Amino acid sequence: MSSSKEVFSQISPSEFFYRNRDLAGFSNPTRSLYTSVREFVENALDACDQKRILPDIHLSIKAVDFEQPDPKHYILTVKDNGPGIDPKHIPLAFGTVLYGSKFGLKQARGMFGLGATMAILYGQITTNKPVTVRSSADGKTLDEFVMLLDIQKNKPVISKHSTKEVSKTGLSVSIVLEGDYSKAGTKIRDYVSQTSLITPYASITFEDPTGEKFHYPRIVKEMPPPPTVIKPHPHGVDVETLRRMIVDTHYQIPVIDNKMIEKVRKELGMQRKNPSPKDILDRADKRWSDLSRPVRTVIAVMSFLNIDFEGLRKIRIDDLDVANKKITYWDFGESQSHIIELNPESPYYKQLANTIQGETLLTFLTKRFQRVGPTTTEKFCEFAKFKPEKRIGSMTNEELVRLADALQKFDEFLAPDPSCLAPLGEEPLSKGIMKFFNPEFATVIQRSASAYSGFPFIVEMGIAYGGDIPPSGLKVYRFANRIPLLYDEGSDVVLKVVNETDWSRYKVKGDPPLVIVSHICSTRVPYKTVGKENVADRPELERELKNALQYLARKLAAHMSRQGMADMAKKRSNLYTKYVPLIAQFSMELAGKKKEPNYKQLIRMGSEIEEQI
Amino acid sequence: MRLKNKSRTKTAEARKQRLLSLLQKHGLGIYEDLDQGKFPQFVIPSRSVNNIVYDKKLRQYILGSASSVRSARNMSQLRSYTQLAWLAFFVNRLVREGKSSTLRDIYYSSQAFSIDFEDQPESDNIIVDLEAVLSSPREEFHIFPEERSSVFGDLTIEYTVPGYEGKRMNLSDHPDGYLIGPSLSSAELVDTSAELVIAIEKGGLFTRFVEENVHKKFKAIIVDTAGQAPRSTRNLLRRLNTELGLPVVILADGDVYGEHIAMVIKSGSANAAHLRELTVPDAKWLGVWATDIEKYKLPTIPMTEADIKRIYDLQKDPRYQEGIWKKQLEVFLKIKRKAELEAFSKYGLTNITDKYLPAKLEESKSL
Repeated sequence: MSSSKEVFSQISPSEFFYRNRDLAGFSNPTRSLYTSVREFVENALDACDQKRILPDIHLSIKAVDFEQPDPKHYILTVKDNGPGIDPKHIPLAFGTVLYGSKFGLKQARGMFGLGATMAILYGQITTNKPVTVRSSADGKTLDEFVMLLDIQKNKPVISKHSTKEVSKTGLSVSIVLEGDYSKAGTKIRDYVSQTSLITPYASITFEDPTGEKFHYPRIVKEMPPPPTVIKPHPHGVDVETLRRMIVDTHYQIPVIDNKMIEKVRKELGMQRKNPSPKDILDRADKRWSDLSRPVRTVIAVMSFLNIDFEGLRKIRIDDLDVANKKITYWDFGESQSHIIELNPESPYYKQLANTIQGETLLTFLTKRFQRVGPTTTEKFCEFAKFKPEKRIGSMTNEELVRLADALQKFDEFLAPDPSCLAPLGEEPLSKGIMKFFNPEFATVIQRSASAYSGFPFIVEMGIAYGGDIPPSGLKVYRFANRIPLLYDEGSDVVLKVVNETDWSRYKVKGDPPLVIVSHICSTRVPYKTVGKENVADRPELERELKNALQYLARKLAAHMSRQGMADMAKKRSNLYTKYVPLIAQFSMELAGKKKEPNYKQLIRMGSEIEEQI
Repeated sequence: MRLKNKSRTKTAEARKQRLLSLLQKHGLGIYEDLDQGKFPQFVIPSRSVNNIVYDKKLRQYILGSASSVRSARNMSQLRSYTQLAWLAFFVNRLVREGKSSTLRDIYYSSQAFSIDFEDQPESDNIIVDLEAVLSSPREEFHIFPEERSSVFGDLTIEYTVPGYEGKRMNLSDHPDGYLIGPSLSSAELVDTSAELVIAIEKGGLFTRFVEENVHKKFKAIIVDTAGQAPRSTRNLLRRLNTELGLPVVILADGDVYGEHIAMVIKSGSANAAHLRELTVPDAKWLGVWATDIEKYKLPTIPMTEADIKRIYDLQKDPRYQEGIWKKQLEVFLKIKRKAELEAFSKYGLTNITDKYLPAKLEESKSL
């Protein structure tokens, strides 16, 4: 027999990501290079969007040793003209995992800014080279940091820090990583060019390892309106979110330390004496309206434990369970925990309850959620069988689950507020498509906002036909929150909707020179996988996509029939002149005649028929 | 020995003359219309589903009375009218010159006359139109598909193709069998000692039958249908049956498709409802029956969804409403398993020719 002992140890977020890097898109050198490019470019674009700066992005990938075969080490640099980062925050922002500024509820490309750190981490793991960050937030001084990440401790190790003078703001990040450009190249070039299509207000330059330069100039000079940060929608919260929201809203149990005891004494005017519990409560009663909220709470606790200031010094309040009318405290003198029952009739119970229980359900719902008014709340309470005056802090676990469940099921809440979304807009999208494809015909549509499970979304779509588009069949460009989606095309909802369309109804045949650009904006795009490359088929989303596509296809059909009519007219002219002599020739041989029949009259009649149409 | 019948030997030549005069008649009609300033037109029997009906007397599918007019006056029909006129003209040349061509050839040949077919399906369609107009199979136009099947046995034929006219040949001289191609299809059937025709679905078993001297033991002509029998093969089976008076029996895989192969030989397909002379109404389906699978303890494989769907489809067909045809479909549906002809090899390679075939031939006498 051998005894085994399990060792429990905490791992740092960096170590967690290091161990699970496949999840974040760093599974092999090809994918990792592509993912790194994406993360840095998207961070740069997001930073510019937030400060409403027209983005100027420079991306370069250079081989450390060009002669070596792939996979090999590459230097990846992304430079922007964004707001930069305060030098104080740089080491933490780039040297630790889970340090981000994107935790609000609004549309952004990345979710938490974790990806960039992952790329840095990946680079460090594969090449053991530091990351170089150059930033200027004030437009005067540029700070350069060269640093490594301490994976176990999740903190940065700065090996070099220098400053110099500059004339504009911006950020540049440069890492060395193992990659495979020969395989990832196509995807990266596609990514950059498609990004320029969906970000027509950005200027993007890409220099690839062979020295070739791809430049995508700015097509429109106006940026789309920025998204605003909003409160959550009732359909979009689960039990855990609800619990966190409740903790944020109600008052905390005051910490009873010497400072607090001094405060209580002072407010009661009992600084010198050591009064009995009864004296204390009597004095409190007289001065009650003048007492501050934390002091009232402490007095209520003293009343239940029946202790004086000395006694207060010897305990620590561990839990106030108002719902079950229990108070748990630790007695330092006896070194043990006590639980005592609260008398609900006592006036102090009400005081405690108010403090701990926080807001009423009515206040909570109207104040903490978007687009919920008192009338809706009352209807909801009836539906959920809760009293509007019910204090949210007094809810038991079961009640919380019931509340979360009811919030999901109640269907009379207004649709989510779409102001947190930042669609590109019809005009920029149209201009982008015209510039990008140079088609014979193009049209776009932005659908009005809709929602799934409490998350608002907007579908924008464009269609382009003919012109410079090669006649190689329908091609779909998919975007979500202004990010091109390049992988896993097959299982995507957009593809599903496009494939279910009967194109022959819209006069599109064979392998048409046809392009569809689809852009889904949402605070939470329902991706199917963590790789974030394909969107799941939520019915609400599918419906919006279908409507958008049908609208565009009808416009295309109208164009096609205009075009078709012109073609037909051209084809029809002189049909009889072409075919009647042939028929004459065939019939002559079939009939065994030596001379052609006289068909002149028929050709004349034919021309008359043609003119009538 | 069957006696040669003078009036019968010239059937191939007679059919050719009939076709040529029909073509000339149409040609004259068009010619005169043009001369008189009238737009010519073709009347084409409609091949739409609504116009395909089962004729119990003829025991095959035929076209109803509906027909459509293709006129040179109608601008949208002018092109396809011209295509049809061209095809008649081209077929006339083929038949007169004794040349044959394939469906693909037709598509390319049209280009020499600025008749622009968009693709081969379009030209194939026009060929079917002409078949319907003249009610003759395309094989008589000397247009053949690529698929070929074969025949073997004591049968003497006399060629009618140019360069071979009058030359005779016995189809038991080459053990691999003879391709049922243009020259065999247009040959006269002169003489045979056979008393039976066995049509078999698979090339492998056709070879086995020849090796095992089935043609001698059973006095049979053996025909390999290579799956669903091509029309030239069905036409040959019919001629063996009607011109030489030989009974035809069919052996196919023990599944719903095998059963339908037998049915198509017997009573044609809906696709060829505009044509006659492709059926052998008295042909007998020997097997493999669903009931044989159990009776002969054959190794089986489970049916697929598609197999089962096919059974339900065929159960709606008027020809499957009675007798052995109906019963076997029901049994297939019940056992939901199928057996190939090769399954008999489990009991030895010659089991099918030594045991199964004689037993089924005996059984078929009572059918």
